[in-house]
Amino acid sequence: MARTLAMFTDTSLCIGCRACQVACKEWNELPSEQPEWTGSYQNHATFTDKTYRLVRFIEKPQANGELSWLLMSDVCKHCAQAGCLDACPTGAIYRTEYGTVNINQDVCNGCRYCVSSCPFGVVSFNHETGRANKCTFCNDRIHNGLGPACAKTCPTESIQFGFRDELVTKAGKRVAALKDMGYKEAQLYGADSNGPLGGLNAFFLLLDKPTTYALPEKPALPQRNVIVDSLLSVGSALLVGVGALLAFRQRGRADGGAVKAGAATDGDAKDGGHA
Amino acid sequence: MLKPPDWHLLIVWYFFLGGIAGGAYFTAAIADNFGSARDKSVFRVGYVLALLLVSVCGILLILDLGTPSRFLNMLKSFKFWDPMSIGAWMLGVFGMFAFGSSALSFMGGEGMARLRRRLSLIGIISGFFIAAYTGVLLSATAMPFWREARLMGALFLASGASTGMAAISLFLYLFGESAGEGYKKVKRADRYAIMFELVVLAVFLALLGGAAGPIVSGHLAPLFWGGLVVAGLVIPLLLDVSGLRLPGAVPAALVLVGGFILRYVIVMANA
Repeated sequence: MARTLAMFTDTSLCIGCRACQVACKEWNELPSEQPEWTGSYQNHATFTDKTYRLVRFIEKPQANGELSWLLMSDVCKHCAQAGCLDACPTGAIYRTEYGTVNINQDVCNGCRYCVSSCPFGVVSFNHETGRANKCTFCNDRIHNGLGPACAKTCPTESIQFGFRDELVTKAGKRVAALKDMGYKEAQLYGADSNGPLGGLNAFFLLLDKPTTYALPEKPALPQRNVIVDSLLSVGSALLVGVGALLAFRQRGRADGGAVKAGAATDGDAKDGGHA
Repeated sequence: MLKPPDWHLLIVWYFFLGGIAGGAYFTAAIADNFGSARDKSVFRVGYVLALLLVSVCGILLILDLGTPSRFLNMLKSFKFWDPMSIGAWMLGVFGMFAFGSSALSFMGGEGMARLRRRLSLIGIISGFFIAAYTGVLLSATAMPFWREARLMGALFLASGASTGMAAISLFLYLFGESAGEGYKKVKRADRYAIMFELVVLAVFLALLGGAAGPIVSGHLAPLFWGGLVVAGLVIPLLLDVSGLRLPGAVPAALVLVGGFILRYVIVMANA
Protein backbone atom coordinates (compact mmCIF):
# COMPACT_ATOMS: atom_id res chain seq x y z
CA MET A 1 0.00 0.00 0.00
CA ALA A 2 1.21 3.42 -0.88
CA ARG A 3 1.61 6.04 1.80
CA THR A 4 -1.82 7.16 3.02
CA LEU A 5 -3.05 10.37 1.48
CA ALA A 6 -5.29 12.79 3.31
CA MET A 7 -7.10 16.07 3.16
CA PHE A 8 -6.85 18.44 6.08
CA THR A 9 -9.59 21.03 6.24
CA ASP A 10 -8.65 23.90 8.52
CA THR A 11 -11.99 25.60 9.17
CA SER A 12 -10.29 28.60 10.79
CA LEU A 13 -9.09 29.63 7.32
CA CYS A 14 -12.37 29.07 5.47
CA ILE A 15 -13.98 32.20 4.09
CA GLY A 16 -17.09 30.47 2.76
CA CYS A 17 -16.40 31.25 -0.90
CA ARG A 18 -17.54 27.78 -2.01
CA ALA A 19 -14.87 27.56 -4.68
CA CYS A 20 -14.27 23.99 -3.48
CA GLN A 21 -17.92 23.13 -3.96
CA VAL A 22 -17.84 24.49 -7.50
CA ALA A 23 -14.48 22.93 -8.40
CA CYS A 24 -15.79 19.57 -7.20
CA LYS A 25 -18.87 19.91 -9.39
CA GLU A 26 -16.82 20.90 -12.39
CA TRP A 27 -14.19 18.21 -12.15
CA ASN A 28 -16.68 15.46 -11.37
CA GLU A 29 -19.20 16.74 -13.93
CA LEU A 30 -21.94 16.99 -11.34
CA PRO A 31 -24.99 18.95 -12.52
CA SER A 32 -26.38 21.89 -10.61
CA GLU A 33 -29.36 21.45 -8.33
CA GLN A 34 -32.26 23.63 -7.35
CA PRO A 35 -31.13 25.76 -4.37
CA GLU A 36 -33.19 25.40 -1.23
CA TRP A 37 -33.83 27.57 1.81
CA THR A 38 -31.81 26.09 4.65
CA GLY A 39 -32.07 28.96 7.11
CA SER A 40 -28.59 30.27 6.33
CA TYR A 41 -26.35 30.83 3.32
CA GLN A 42 -25.67 27.11 3.22
CA ASN A 43 -26.74 25.19 0.17
CA HIS A 44 -27.64 22.37 0.22
CA ALA A 45 -28.75 21.20 3.63
CA THR A 46 -26.94 17.87 3.26
CA PHE A 47 -24.65 16.07 0.87
CA THR A 48 -26.53 14.91 -2.19
CA ASP A 49 -25.78 12.60 -5.07
CA LYS A 50 -24.65 15.70 -6.96
CA THR A 51 -22.88 17.58 -4.15
CA TYR A 52 -19.78 15.91 -2.74
CA ARG A 53 -18.23 19.01 -1.13
CA LEU A 54 -20.49 21.12 1.00
CA VAL A 55 -19.61 24.35 2.75
CA ARG A 56 -21.50 24.52 6.01
CA PHE A 57 -22.53 27.97 7.26
CA ILE A 58 -23.20 27.84 10.97
CA GLU A 59 -24.46 30.92 12.78
CA LYS A 60 -23.24 31.01 16.34
CA PRO A 61 -24.53 33.54 18.88
CA GLN A 62 -21.77 35.55 20.55
CA ALA A 63 -21.68 36.79 24.15
CA ASN A 64 -22.72 40.27 22.98
CA GLY A 65 -25.79 38.85 21.23
CA GLU A 66 -24.45 39.16 17.71
CA LEU A 67 -24.04 36.22 15.40
CA SER A 68 -20.72 34.98 14.16
CA TRP A 69 -20.02 32.57 11.31
CA LEU A 70 -18.52 29.20 11.70
CA LEU A 71 -17.60 27.98 8.24
CA MET A 72 -16.64 24.46 7.37
CA SER A 73 -16.06 22.84 4.04
CA ASP A 74 -17.37 19.34 4.68
CA VAL A 75 -16.60 16.23 2.67
CA CYS A 76 -16.53 12.43 2.84
CA LYS A 77 -14.17 11.52 5.69
CA HIS A 78 -12.66 8.46 3.96
CA CYS A 79 -12.70 6.72 7.36
CA ALA A 80 -9.96 4.22 8.19
CA GLN A 81 -12.83 1.99 9.42
CA ALA A 82 -15.61 2.83 7.03
CA GLY A 83 -19.21 1.86 7.78
CA CYS A 84 -20.24 2.18 4.13
CA LEU A 85 -17.43 -0.11 3.01
CA ASP A 86 -18.30 -2.79 5.57
CA ALA A 87 -22.00 -2.54 4.73
CA CYS A 88 -21.59 -2.93 0.98
CA PRO A 89 -22.77 -6.43 0.02
CA THR A 90 -21.37 -6.33 -3.52
CA GLY A 91 -17.82 -5.18 -2.85
CA ALA A 92 -18.49 -2.05 -4.91
CA ILE A 93 -17.14 0.10 -2.09
CA TYR A 94 -13.42 -0.46 -1.78
CA ARG A 95 -10.29 1.05 -0.29
CA THR A 96 -7.71 2.36 -2.68
CA GLU A 97 -3.99 1.90 -2.24
CA TYR A 98 -3.88 5.48 -0.93
CA GLY A 99 -6.27 4.68 1.92
CA THR A 100 -9.25 6.48 0.41
CA VAL A 101 -12.72 4.92 0.08
CA ASN A 102 -14.36 4.75 -3.31
CA ILE A 103 -17.55 3.38 -4.87
CA ASN A 104 -17.12 1.39 -8.06
CA GLN A 105 -20.18 2.55 -9.98
CA ASP A 106 -20.22 -0.50 -12.25
CA VAL A 107 -20.51 -2.89 -9.33
CA CYS A 108 -22.89 -0.97 -7.05
CA ASN A 109 -26.35 -2.52 -7.30
CA GLY A 110 -28.35 0.16 -5.56
CA CYS A 111 -29.28 -1.62 -2.31
CA ARG A 112 -28.77 1.66 -0.37
CA TYR A 113 -27.46 -0.07 2.76
CA CYS A 114 -24.32 2.10 2.70
CA VAL A 115 -26.42 5.28 2.77
CA SER A 116 -27.64 4.68 6.32
CA SER A 117 -24.40 3.00 7.41
CA CYS A 118 -22.41 6.22 7.07
CA PRO A 119 -22.04 7.87 10.50
CA PHE A 120 -21.81 11.25 8.74
CA GLY A 121 -24.65 11.01 6.21
CA VAL A 122 -22.25 11.35 3.31
CA VAL A 123 -23.22 8.56 0.92
CA SER A 124 -26.19 9.44 -1.31
CA PHE A 125 -28.38 7.51 -3.66
CA ASN A 126 -28.66 8.67 -7.25
CA HIS A 127 -32.16 7.91 -8.49
CA GLU A 128 -31.16 8.35 -12.12
CA THR A 129 -28.35 5.78 -12.14
CA GLY A 130 -29.86 3.69 -9.34
CA ARG A 131 -26.49 3.62 -7.59
CA ALA A 132 -24.90 5.19 -4.53
CA ASN A 133 -22.21 7.82 -4.87
CA LYS A 134 -20.06 10.17 -2.85
CA CYS A 135 -16.75 12.04 -2.91
CA THR A 136 -14.14 9.98 -4.75
CA PHE A 137 -11.19 11.92 -3.29
CA CYS A 138 -10.77 12.74 -7.01
CA ASN A 139 -9.59 9.21 -7.57
CA ASP A 140 -8.68 9.96 -11.17
CA ARG A 141 -6.60 12.98 -10.16
CA ILE A 142 -4.68 11.37 -7.29
CA HIS A 143 -3.76 8.47 -9.57
CA ASN A 144 -2.21 11.00 -11.91
CA GLY A 145 -0.20 12.89 -9.36
CA LEU A 146 -2.69 15.70 -8.79
CA GLY A 147 -4.46 16.73 -5.62
CA PRO A 148 -8.25 16.71 -5.31
CA ALA A 149 -9.95 19.55 -7.19
CA CYS A 150 -11.32 21.12 -3.99
CA ALA A 151 -7.90 21.34 -2.34
CA LYS A 152 -6.30 22.59 -5.54
CA THR A 153 -8.76 25.44 -5.88
CA CYS A 154 -9.06 26.57 -2.25
CA PRO A 155 -7.80 30.19 -2.23
CA THR A 156 -6.99 30.29 1.50
CA GLU A 157 -5.44 26.83 1.82
CA SER A 158 -8.20 25.91 4.19
CA ILE A 159 -8.23 22.57 2.37
CA GLN A 160 -4.81 21.00 2.23
CA PHE A 161 -3.85 17.79 0.48
CA GLY A 162 -0.85 15.62 1.19
CA PHE A 163 0.53 12.63 3.04
CA ARG A 164 -1.50 11.93 6.14
CA ASP A 165 1.36 11.78 8.63
CA GLU A 166 2.75 15.12 7.47
CA LEU A 167 -0.66 16.80 7.55
CA VAL A 168 -1.37 15.52 11.07
CA THR A 169 1.87 17.05 12.33
CA LYS A 170 1.05 20.32 10.61
CA ALA A 171 -2.48 20.30 12.01
CA GLY A 172 -1.18 19.77 15.54
CA LYS A 173 1.01 22.86 15.27
CA ARG A 174 -1.87 24.90 13.90
CA VAL A 175 -4.16 23.94 16.81
CA ALA A 176 -1.46 24.97 19.30
CA ALA A 177 -1.04 28.31 17.52
CA LEU A 178 -4.79 28.97 17.52
CA LYS A 179 -5.06 28.14 21.20
CA ASP A 180 -2.31 30.66 21.89
CA MET A 181 -4.33 33.20 19.95
CA GLY A 182 -7.27 32.61 22.28
CA TYR A 183 -9.38 30.11 20.36
CA LYS A 184 -10.02 27.92 23.38
CA GLU A 185 -12.24 25.38 21.63
CA ALA A 186 -9.90 24.84 18.68
CA GLN A 187 -9.51 21.11 18.17
CA LEU A 188 -8.75 18.46 15.61
CA TYR A 189 -11.48 16.12 14.44
CA GLY A 190 -10.50 12.72 13.10
CA ALA A 191 -6.74 13.29 13.11
CA ASP A 192 -5.99 10.64 15.74
CA SER A 193 -5.57 7.26 14.09
CA ASN A 194 -6.23 5.62 17.47
CA GLY A 195 -9.47 7.57 17.82
CA PRO A 196 -13.00 6.81 16.58
CA LEU A 197 -13.19 4.92 13.26
CA GLY A 198 -9.41 4.49 13.28
CA GLY A 199 -9.02 8.10 12.23
CA LEU A 200 -10.39 9.97 9.24
CA ASN A 201 -8.39 10.45 6.06
CA ALA A 202 -10.22 13.71 5.55
CA PHE A 203 -9.82 15.33 8.95
CA PHE A 204 -10.66 18.76 10.25
CA LEU A 205 -9.61 21.56 12.50
CA LEU A 206 -12.72 22.90 14.23
CA LEU A 207 -13.15 26.11 16.20
CA ASP A 208 -15.92 24.69 18.35
CA LYS A 209 -17.30 21.41 19.62
CA PRO A 210 -17.98 18.82 16.87
CA THR A 211 -21.70 18.89 17.65
CA THR A 212 -21.82 22.59 16.73
CA TYR A 213 -20.87 21.47 13.23
CA ALA A 214 -23.44 18.64 13.31
CA LEU A 215 -20.61 16.12 13.58
CA PRO A 216 -21.02 13.17 15.95
CA GLU A 217 -18.88 13.45 19.09
CA LYS A 218 -17.79 9.82 18.95
CA PRO A 219 -18.76 8.27 15.61
CA ALA A 220 -18.95 4.49 15.88
CA LEU A 221 -18.57 1.80 13.28
CA PRO A 222 -22.14 0.52 12.75
CA GLN A 223 -20.97 -3.06 12.27
CA ARG A 224 -19.77 -3.12 15.88
CA ASN A 225 -23.37 -4.02 16.73
CA VAL A 226 -23.46 -7.21 14.71
CA ILE A 227 -21.99 -9.68 17.20
CA VAL A 228 -23.95 -8.64 20.30
CA ASP A 229 -27.20 -8.24 18.36
CA SER A 230 -26.71 -11.64 16.75
CA LEU A 231 -26.10 -13.27 20.13
CA LEU A 232 -29.22 -11.63 21.53
CA SER A 233 -31.12 -12.95 18.50
CA VAL A 234 -29.80 -16.44 19.21
CA GLY A 235 -31.07 -16.08 22.79
CA SER A 236 -34.42 -15.00 21.41
CA ALA A 237 -34.43 -18.00 19.06
CA LEU A 238 -33.73 -20.39 21.95
CA LEU A 239 -36.61 -19.01 24.03
CA VAL A 240 -39.00 -19.05 21.07
CA GLY A 241 -37.84 -22.57 20.24
CA VAL A 242 -38.42 -23.76 23.80
CA GLY A 243 -41.94 -22.26 23.72
CA ALA A 244 -42.77 -24.04 20.48
CA LEU A 245 -41.21 -27.24 21.80
CA LEU A 246 -43.39 -27.15 24.91
CA ALA A 247 -46.47 -26.59 22.77
CA PHE A 248 -45.70 -29.45 20.40
CA ARG A 249 -43.88 -32.07 22.47
CA GLN A 250 -45.91 -35.17 22.86
CA ARG A 251 -43.80 -38.08 21.83
CA GLY A 252 -44.16 -41.04 24.18
CA ARG A 253 -46.94 -39.34 26.13
CA ALA A 254 -50.47 -40.50 26.54
CA ASP A 255 -53.08 -38.06 25.24
CA GLY A 256 -54.32 -37.48 28.77
CA GLY A 257 -51.03 -35.75 29.55
CA ALA A 258 -51.60 -33.02 27.01
CA VAL A 259 -53.74 -30.83 29.24
CA LYS A 260 -51.30 -31.13 32.12
CA ALA A 261 -48.37 -30.32 29.85
CA GLY A 262 -50.21 -27.26 28.54
CA ALA A 263 -50.87 -25.97 32.04
CA ALA A 264 -47.27 -26.46 33.09
CA THR A 265 -45.85 -24.78 30.00
CA ASP A 266 -47.67 -21.50 30.57
CA GLY A 267 -45.49 -20.83 33.58
CA ASP A 268 -42.34 -21.94 31.80
CA ALA A 269 -42.85 -19.55 28.93
CA LYS A 270 -43.44 -16.63 31.24
CA ASP A 271 -40.31 -17.37 33.22
CA GLY A 272 -38.36 -17.65 29.99
CA GLY A 273 -39.68 -14.31 28.81
CA HIS A 274 -38.59 -12.46 31.90
CA ALA A 275 -35.14 -14.02 31.97
CA MET B 1 -27.03 14.75 9.47
CA LEU B 2 -27.56 11.03 9.03
CA LYS B 3 -29.26 9.81 5.91
CA PRO B 4 -32.08 7.29 5.73
CA PRO B 5 -31.63 4.53 3.15
CA ASP B 6 -34.71 5.39 1.15
CA TRP B 7 -36.29 2.02 1.86
CA HIS B 8 -40.03 1.88 1.43
CA LEU B 9 -42.91 -0.57 1.10
CA LEU B 10 -41.05 -3.25 -0.85
CA ILE B 11 -38.62 -3.58 2.02
CA VAL B 12 -41.43 -3.47 4.61
CA TRP B 13 -43.13 -6.35 2.80
CA TYR B 14 -39.86 -8.22 2.57
CA PHE B 15 -39.14 -7.88 6.29
CA PHE B 16 -42.72 -8.95 7.07
CA LEU B 17 -42.95 -11.93 4.71
CA GLY B 18 -39.38 -13.00 5.43
CA GLY B 19 -40.28 -13.11 9.13
CA ILE B 20 -43.31 -15.27 8.43
CA ALA B 21 -41.30 -17.56 6.15
CA GLY B 22 -38.61 -18.07 8.80
CA GLY B 23 -41.16 -18.42 11.60
CA ALA B 24 -43.32 -20.87 9.65
CA TYR B 25 -40.28 -22.99 8.84
CA PHE B 26 -38.88 -23.27 12.34
CA THR B 27 -42.34 -23.89 13.76
CA ALA B 28 -42.88 -26.63 11.19
CA ALA B 29 -39.46 -28.13 11.92
CA ILE B 30 -40.21 -28.26 15.65
CA ALA B 31 -43.67 -29.74 15.03
CA ASP B 32 -42.12 -32.28 12.66
CA ASN B 33 -39.34 -33.38 15.00
CA PHE B 34 -40.97 -33.14 18.40
CA GLY B 35 -44.71 -33.37 17.73
CA SER B 36 -46.83 -36.35 16.90
CA ALA B 37 -47.85 -37.84 13.57
CA ARG B 38 -51.11 -35.93 13.82
CA ASP B 39 -49.22 -32.66 13.46
CA LYS B 40 -48.55 -33.48 9.82
CA SER B 41 -50.90 -30.74 8.64
CA VAL B 42 -48.93 -28.20 10.69
CA PHE B 43 -45.52 -28.95 9.29
CA ARG B 44 -46.76 -29.43 5.76
CA VAL B 45 -48.45 -26.01 5.77
CA GLY B 46 -45.40 -24.50 7.46
CA TYR B 47 -42.86 -25.85 4.97
CA VAL B 48 -44.93 -24.94 1.92
CA LEU B 49 -45.70 -21.49 3.28
CA ALA B 50 -41.98 -20.92 3.87
CA LEU B 51 -41.20 -21.99 0.30
CA LEU B 52 -43.86 -19.79 -1.28
CA LEU B 53 -42.99 -16.76 0.81
CA VAL B 54 -39.24 -17.03 0.36
CA SER B 55 -39.84 -16.97 -3.39
CA VAL B 56 -41.90 -13.80 -3.02
CA CYS B 57 -39.16 -12.36 -0.80
CA GLY B 58 -36.55 -12.90 -3.50
CA ILE B 59 -38.74 -11.11 -6.04
CA LEU B 60 -39.35 -8.17 -3.67
CA LEU B 61 -35.65 -7.68 -3.07
CA ILE B 62 -34.80 -7.88 -6.75
CA LEU B 63 -37.53 -5.38 -7.62
CA ASP B 64 -36.26 -2.99 -4.97
CA LEU B 65 -32.92 -2.69 -6.77
CA GLY B 66 -34.60 -1.08 -9.76
CA THR B 67 -32.42 -2.96 -12.24
CA PRO B 68 -33.14 -6.62 -11.48
CA SER B 69 -29.99 -8.09 -13.04
CA ARG B 70 -27.88 -6.16 -10.54
CA PHE B 71 -28.97 -8.66 -7.91
CA LEU B 72 -26.24 -10.89 -9.31
CA ASN B 73 -23.64 -8.41 -8.03
CA MET B 74 -24.51 -9.57 -4.50
CA LEU B 75 -23.47 -13.08 -5.45
CA LYS B 76 -19.98 -12.08 -6.47
CA SER B 77 -19.07 -11.20 -2.92
CA PHE B 78 -19.37 -12.73 0.53
CA LYS B 79 -18.76 -10.80 3.74
CA PHE B 80 -19.42 -12.79 6.88
CA TRP B 81 -19.59 -9.66 9.05
CA ASP B 82 -22.12 -7.90 6.84
CA PRO B 83 -25.79 -8.75 7.52
CA MET B 84 -26.87 -7.79 4.00
CA SER B 85 -24.24 -9.97 2.35
CA ILE B 86 -24.85 -13.07 4.50
CA GLY B 87 -28.58 -12.41 4.25
CA ALA B 88 -28.55 -12.54 0.46
CA TRP B 89 -26.73 -15.87 0.55
CA MET B 90 -28.82 -17.30 3.38
CA LEU B 91 -32.01 -16.46 1.53
CA GLY B 92 -30.87 -18.90 -1.13
CA VAL B 93 -29.85 -21.52 1.45
CA PHE B 94 -33.16 -21.14 3.26
CA GLY B 95 -35.02 -21.45 -0.04
CA MET B 96 -33.30 -24.78 -0.69
CA PHE B 97 -34.21 -26.11 2.75
CA ALA B 98 -37.80 -24.92 2.33
CA PHE B 99 -37.96 -26.61 -1.06
CA GLY B 100 -36.49 -29.87 0.22
CA SER B 101 -38.73 -30.00 3.28
CA SER B 102 -41.85 -29.12 1.27
CA ALA B 103 -41.15 -31.76 -1.34
CA LEU B 104 -40.41 -34.43 1.28
CA SER B 105 -43.58 -33.59 3.20
CA PHE B 106 -45.57 -34.84 0.22
CA MET B 107 -43.68 -38.12 -0.06
CA GLY B 108 -44.78 -41.20 1.83
CA GLY B 109 -42.66 -43.74 3.62
CA GLU B 110 -40.79 -43.78 6.92
CA GLY B 111 -37.43 -43.32 5.19
CA MET B 112 -38.57 -40.09 3.58
CA ALA B 113 -40.05 -38.89 6.85
CA ARG B 114 -36.76 -39.53 8.64
CA LEU B 115 -34.85 -37.68 5.94
CA ARG B 116 -37.31 -34.78 6.16
CA ARG B 117 -36.87 -34.51 9.93
CA ARG B 118 -33.09 -34.59 9.69
CA LEU B 119 -33.14 -31.99 6.93
CA SER B 120 -35.37 -29.63 8.89
CA LEU B 121 -33.20 -29.99 12.01
CA ILE B 122 -30.38 -28.41 10.01
CA GLY B 123 -32.67 -26.08 8.07
CA ILE B 124 -34.16 -24.73 11.30
CA ILE B 125 -31.00 -22.66 11.73
CA SER B 126 -31.62 -20.92 8.42
CA GLY B 127 -35.26 -20.38 9.46
CA PHE B 128 -34.22 -18.62 12.66
CA PHE B 129 -31.64 -16.70 10.68
CA ILE B 130 -34.08 -15.41 8.07
CA ALA B 131 -36.49 -14.25 10.76
CA ALA B 132 -33.84 -12.40 12.78
CA TYR B 133 -31.16 -11.12 10.43
CA THR B 134 -33.21 -8.26 9.00
CA GLY B 135 -33.35 -6.81 12.51
CA VAL B 136 -29.59 -7.15 12.97
CA LEU B 137 -29.21 -5.55 9.54
CA LEU B 138 -31.09 -2.46 10.72
CA SER B 139 -29.13 -2.44 13.93
CA ALA B 140 -25.82 -2.35 12.05
CA THR B 141 -26.50 1.11 10.62
CA ALA B 142 -25.77 4.59 11.90
CA MET B 143 -29.45 5.38 12.60
CA PRO B 144 -29.96 5.79 16.39
CA PHE B 145 -33.54 4.48 16.37
CA TRP B 146 -32.43 1.28 14.67
CA ARG B 147 -29.13 0.70 16.40
CA GLU B 148 -29.39 1.73 20.01
CA ALA B 149 -31.61 -0.93 21.59
CA ARG B 150 -29.46 -3.83 20.34
CA LEU B 151 -32.62 -5.97 20.39
CA MET B 152 -33.91 -5.39 16.87
CA GLY B 153 -32.90 -8.89 15.77
CA ALA B 154 -34.44 -10.48 18.86
CA LEU B 155 -37.65 -8.50 18.32
CA PHE B 156 -37.89 -9.42 14.65
CA LEU B 157 -37.35 -13.05 15.55
CA ALA B 158 -40.14 -12.96 18.13
CA SER B 159 -42.40 -11.28 15.60
CA GLY B 160 -41.40 -13.80 12.93
CA ALA B 161 -42.43 -16.55 15.36
CA SER B 162 -45.79 -15.02 16.28
CA THR B 163 -46.67 -14.17 12.67
CA GLY B 164 -45.33 -17.45 11.24
CA MET B 165 -47.41 -19.42 13.71
CA ALA B 166 -50.44 -17.20 13.10
CA ALA B 167 -50.07 -17.75 9.36
CA ILE B 168 -49.94 -21.53 9.82
CA SER B 169 -53.02 -21.48 12.05
CA LEU B 170 -54.83 -19.20 9.60
CA PHE B 171 -54.24 -21.60 6.72
CA LEU B 172 -55.19 -24.61 8.83
CA TYR B 173 -58.41 -22.80 9.68
CA LEU B 174 -59.07 -21.97 6.04
CA PHE B 175 -58.41 -25.58 5.03
CA GLY B 176 -60.95 -26.74 7.59
CA GLU B 177 -58.35 -28.34 9.86
CA SER B 178 -59.27 -26.29 12.91
CA ALA B 179 -60.63 -29.31 14.79
CA GLY B 180 -57.29 -31.09 14.73
CA GLU B 181 -54.75 -31.52 17.50
CA GLY B 182 -52.07 -29.76 15.43
CA TYR B 183 -54.16 -26.62 15.14
CA LYS B 184 -54.54 -26.39 18.91
CA LYS B 185 -50.82 -26.86 19.39
CA VAL B 186 -49.82 -24.20 16.93
CA LYS B 187 -52.30 -21.84 18.61
CA ARG B 188 -50.69 -22.59 21.95
CA ALA B 189 -47.22 -22.05 20.52
CA ASP B 190 -48.40 -18.74 19.08
CA ARG B 191 -49.68 -17.70 22.49
CA TYR B 192 -46.21 -18.20 23.98
CA ALA B 193 -44.63 -16.37 21.05
CA ILE B 194 -46.95 -13.37 21.49
CA MET B 195 -46.22 -13.21 25.23
CA PHE B 196 -42.51 -13.39 24.50
CA GLU B 197 -42.81 -10.71 21.81
CA LEU B 198 -44.57 -8.38 24.27
CA VAL B 199 -41.75 -8.83 26.77
CA VAL B 200 -39.05 -8.25 24.14
CA LEU B 201 -40.90 -5.21 22.84
CA ALA B 202 -41.13 -3.72 26.34
CA VAL B 203 -37.41 -4.25 26.96
CA PHE B 204 -36.66 -2.90 23.48
CA LEU B 205 -38.55 0.33 24.17
CA ALA B 206 -37.01 0.69 27.61
CA LEU B 207 -33.50 0.31 26.21
CA LEU B 208 -34.18 2.72 23.36
CA GLY B 209 -35.46 5.41 25.69
CA GLY B 210 -35.59 8.75 23.91
CA ALA B 211 -34.46 7.23 20.61
CA ALA B 212 -37.83 5.43 20.43
CA GLY B 213 -39.51 8.80 19.81
CA PRO B 214 -40.38 8.19 16.15
CA ILE B 215 -42.69 5.30 17.01
CA VAL B 216 -43.86 5.97 20.57
CA SER B 217 -44.75 9.64 20.20
CA GLY B 218 -44.39 10.70 16.56
CA HIS B 219 -46.92 10.48 13.75
CA LEU B 220 -46.44 6.72 13.65
CA ALA B 221 -47.39 6.38 17.33
CA PRO B 222 -51.14 5.70 16.80
CA LEU B 223 -50.27 2.93 14.36
CA PHE B 224 -47.66 1.51 16.71
CA TRP B 225 -49.73 1.56 19.91
CA GLY B 226 -53.13 0.88 18.35
CA GLY B 227 -52.21 -1.37 15.45
CA LEU B 228 -49.34 -3.38 16.87
CA VAL B 229 -49.44 -3.33 20.66
CA VAL B 230 -53.20 -3.35 21.22
CA ALA B 231 -54.76 -4.89 18.10
CA GLY B 232 -51.82 -7.02 17.04
CA LEU B 233 -50.62 -8.45 20.35
CA VAL B 234 -52.77 -7.75 23.41
CA ILE B 235 -56.21 -8.38 21.86
CA PRO B 236 -55.24 -11.67 20.15
CA LEU B 237 -53.71 -12.81 23.43
CA LEU B 238 -56.81 -11.86 25.42
CA LEU B 239 -59.09 -13.51 22.84
CA ASP B 240 -57.00 -16.64 23.12
CA VAL B 241 -56.90 -16.73 26.92
CA SER B 242 -60.54 -15.73 27.41
CA GLY B 243 -61.67 -18.72 25.36
CA LEU B 244 -64.23 -16.59 23.53
CA ARG B 245 -65.95 -18.55 20.81
CA LEU B 246 -64.58 -16.53 17.93
CA PRO B 247 -63.44 -17.98 14.63
CA GLY B 248 -59.74 -18.82 15.03
CA ALA B 249 -59.00 -16.79 11.93
CA VAL B 250 -59.68 -13.50 13.76
CA PRO B 251 -56.80 -13.49 16.26
CA ALA B 252 -54.48 -14.95 13.63
CA ALA B 253 -55.33 -12.19 11.16
CA LEU B 254 -54.82 -9.56 13.88
CA VAL B 255 -51.37 -10.94 14.71
CA LEU B 256 -50.44 -10.85 11.02
CA VAL B 257 -51.57 -7.25 10.61
CA GLY B 258 -49.64 -6.38 13.79
CA GLY B 259 -46.50 -8.00 12.38
CA PHE B 260 -46.79 -5.93 9.24
CA ILE B 261 -47.28 -2.76 11.27
CA LEU B 262 -44.17 -3.53 13.34
CA ARG B 263 -42.01 -3.64 10.19
CA TYR B 264 -43.83 -0.68 8.72
CA VAL B 265 -43.30 1.70 11.64
CA ILE B 266 -39.71 0.61 12.13
CA VAL B 267 -38.71 1.05 8.48
CA MET B 268 -40.81 4.15 7.86
CA ALA B 269 -39.59 5.90 11.01
CA ASN B 270 -36.38 6.51 9.08
CA ALA B 271 -37.83 6.87 5.59
